[in-house]
Amino acid sequence: MSLLRVENVSKHFGSLVAVNNVSMNVEAGELRAIIGPNGAGKTTFFNLISGFLTPSSGRITFDGEDITALRPARRVWRGMARTFQITEVFPELPVRENLRIAVEVAGGNRLNPWLSRDADGEIRARIVELMDMGGLADKADRLVGELAHGDQRATEIMMSLALKPRLLLLDEPTAGMGDQETYDITQLIRKLHRDQKLTIVLIEHDMRVVFHLADRIMVLAEGEPLAEGTPREIGANEAVQAAYLGTAAAA
Amino acid sequence: MRGDDLKKGASTAIVWLLLLAMPYWLPAIGGYTELGARVVVLGLAAMSLNFLLGYTGVLSFGHAAYFGLGAYGAGMTLKYLVPSTSLSIIVGTLVGTIAAAIIGPMIIRLRGVYFAMVTIAFGQTFYFIAFRWNTVTGGDDGLTGWQRLPLDFVFGQIDILKSSVAFYYLVLVLFAVATGCMAWLLRSPFGRTLLAIRENERRARFLGIPVDQHIWISWVISCCFVSLAGALYALLNNFVDPRALYWSQSGDFVIMAVLGGMRSFWGPLLGAAIFVVLQDYLSSQTQNWMSFVGLFFVLVVLFFPRGVLGIIRRRAAA
Amino acid sequence: MTQLVLFNIFNGLIVGAFYALMALGLSLILNLSGVINFAHGGFLALGGYLAFTLISYVGFWGALILAPFLTAILGLLVERVLIRRVYGRDPLYSLLLTFGLAFIFEDGTRYLWGAQSLPFQVPGWLVTPLSNDYFFLTGYRLFMVLMVAIAVIGLFVILTYTRLGIRIRAGTLDLETVSVLGVNVRILRNLNFGLGVYLAGLAGVLAVGQLGLQPTIGASLIMPSFVAIIVGGLGSLPGTLLGGLLIGVASGVTTVFFPSATEAVMYVMMAAVLLVRPRGLLGEEGRF
Repeated sequence: MSLLRVENVSKHFGSLVAVNNVSMNVEAGELRAIIGPNGAGKTTFFNLISGFLTPSSGRITFDGEDITALRPARRVWRGMARTFQITEVFPELPVRENLRIAVEVAGGNRLNPWLSRDADGEIRARIVELMDMGGLADKADRLVGELAHGDQRATEIMMSLALKPRLLLLDEPTAGMGDQETYDITQLIRKLHRDQKLTIVLIEHDMRVVFHLADRIMVLAEGEPLAEGTPREIGANEAVQAAYLGTAAAA
Repeated sequence: MRGDDLKKGASTAIVWLLLLAMPYWLPAIGGYTELGARVVVLGLAAMSLNFLLGYTGVLSFGHAAYFGLGAYGAGMTLKYLVPSTSLSIIVGTLVGTIAAAIIGPMIIRLRGVYFAMVTIAFGQTFYFIAFRWNTVTGGDDGLTGWQRLPLDFVFGQIDILKSSVAFYYLVLVLFAVATGCMAWLLRSPFGRTLLAIRENERRARFLGIPVDQHIWISWVISCCFVSLAGALYALLNNFVDPRALYWSQSGDFVIMAVLGGMRSFWGPLLGAAIFVVLQDYLSSQTQNWMSFVGLFFVLVVLFFPRGVLGIIRRRAAA
Repeated sequence: MTQLVLFNIFNGLIVGAFYALMALGLSLILNLSGVINFAHGGFLALGGYLAFTLISYVGFWGALILAPFLTAILGLLVERVLIRRVYGRDPLYSLLLTFGLAFIFEDGTRYLWGAQSLPFQVPGWLVTPLSNDYFFLTGYRLFMVLMVAIAVIGLFVILTYTRLGIRIRAGTLDLETVSVLGVNVRILRNLNFGLGVYLAGLAGVLAVGQLGLQPTIGASLIMPSFVAIIVGGLGSLPGTLLGGLLIGVASGVTTVFFPSATEAVMYVMMAAVLLVRPRGLLGEEGRF
């Protein structure tokens, strides 16, 4: 069952074509990776899917509903969550508060002037659950801005998870991380995919991560779709190699 | 967490002790009850502004518009409509709140300096109306020929006109209601969404918080309480003039919030106290008090951006 | 009737040209540095007062040339010593800072030159009407329009053809890239501020010949500048120019039919623009 269907989507900025006629179909439960050289339009593509930008043409359907014109917050309500290339959290609040905000909003409490004791208890329990999952329990009261990069990213992913999304968009989750942190985040993502049965689309540069996690891979280059297939197919694809390494390597 | 809560509880207790006992200790150090009332009223205005500025992160520089509307609403009610103090307060507050609710959607999408510019411009719009419509508002001479009236209750009358102490306690009661409301809201899930918007608007949006809508709600709440302050201000002076709507009044509120500490709940009240006393003193000493106030603004920005409570907090942490 | 309407439209154009001049200076500073120079009115007043003092030494023409320059020099100083310190911070602080400066300027001019209105001597030949039919076409009014036109053209020339101007325009679009390209951003901001203040000073000298000279002149003229920028469009200098002229003409026309609403009409225009096209008539998207 198709969860996310992107049909012939393009984005122009004046005469600059950032994304050109890209289509993608993601099945529920899939883990899809988007790869491509720098400047391929991957983040712009994500921005279109998540509502940060409006496509110049094309259509985006989420769980059967046309969401092309929907604002970001409303896409979140329908079950889409995303992380950003540069971690977007609340750096001057502790981890616990970051998660609290996410959990409260997810529970429909965003306009609530009051929480009952029970509701508060449930929220606290959920926060603890999320912190444990993300390996953040011992950093609960530290300001997120002071944490190591990997922990900040984990916080961001946990905040997104708090929203009980059906689709999780991760923009370069391992960017700027060393080997250990990359490993930890990869394990976390895998756990989310398996245990929570989350549909995940991620942009990645680290090929180890991509080949380790992805069910299917889509390759973008210069805003256009270059190839799509299983990791094996992509690994063997000459055009993809050329795009990454230059035509000399492919020859 | 425990320590934090204790500290907050303690500071609240101290503030309330000082406020409740004000008519007794203030005259002893050379002040007078009206001054205390003025501090509380302007403190309420600054705290209401801070709900928007310090807690939601929205740069409103035109709050005097709603302060002034509250003041004129109250004064004009007493002068033209009904000789009732309570009604004047209600009308004043309503006028300011409704104006804010209507203007809100026009400006909500703007951010940063542009939002500030537009709020200033709207403030001046009302200033201009008050100035020009002198048949009704008294123009530059102000709205005169009215005064606050004793409150009639079933069991008797409280003469808030003659007794400035009685009036002070009325102000304090309303101050308690208003600040209690604000404190409660800030501690609620809704309040936390405002914090989220302040801390990282993009992340707030991508958590599913409809940012513009929440900013509008925060705006209306803030303007509602600042209008209440305006109504009380009019009653305090038995007078309103367009000065209450002028951009310098807006600037005063902001400097009070910054001076006291924008990130602290009681900060703006402290800032109001310092500013009111300072301005009072300066205007009695020199013709050029305006330059000194300007200089004060400059110094605060350059050397005290976190405000008094910001400095105290840092010392405590260190 | 047509005479009256024409008179007022013309008057409105002059007033508008003058609002535009002041607003352009404000816009320059806002676009490059993100600072709302609330003290702009103060610089305008200063320009006028300096001209008043200089007239007895160097005559009208000397004052016209010298006063704006002196004002600009003060502007350079103010930027260097004060404004520069708040660039990286929340825009709140720059606004508070310039608020404070506005107070200081207004009171300062009151202190140095007194609170009463001062008479400003414009050369006699400028004030005589050019023809009896169009009595409102006095030399001075035409002169003002001419000066504003020269200033605007001069600004355009500077921004298009000089190195400084090109850097200012580039910086307005992307300051970070400009600095990476080796331009000294601090000096750029400083000179840009000076240029903006020059325009305010010039506007001040021109204004006092028309409006008279008192300490509150700055404060009373800053709001039309704000509105001109909001109406004309954020981030757009041509927009600011257009905005100023529109406001001027609109208030001119309004004077004929609703004299008491003359000042209100600019606020009505502002509200209309905000409702229909928040970024302003010629504003760029994404500026806010």
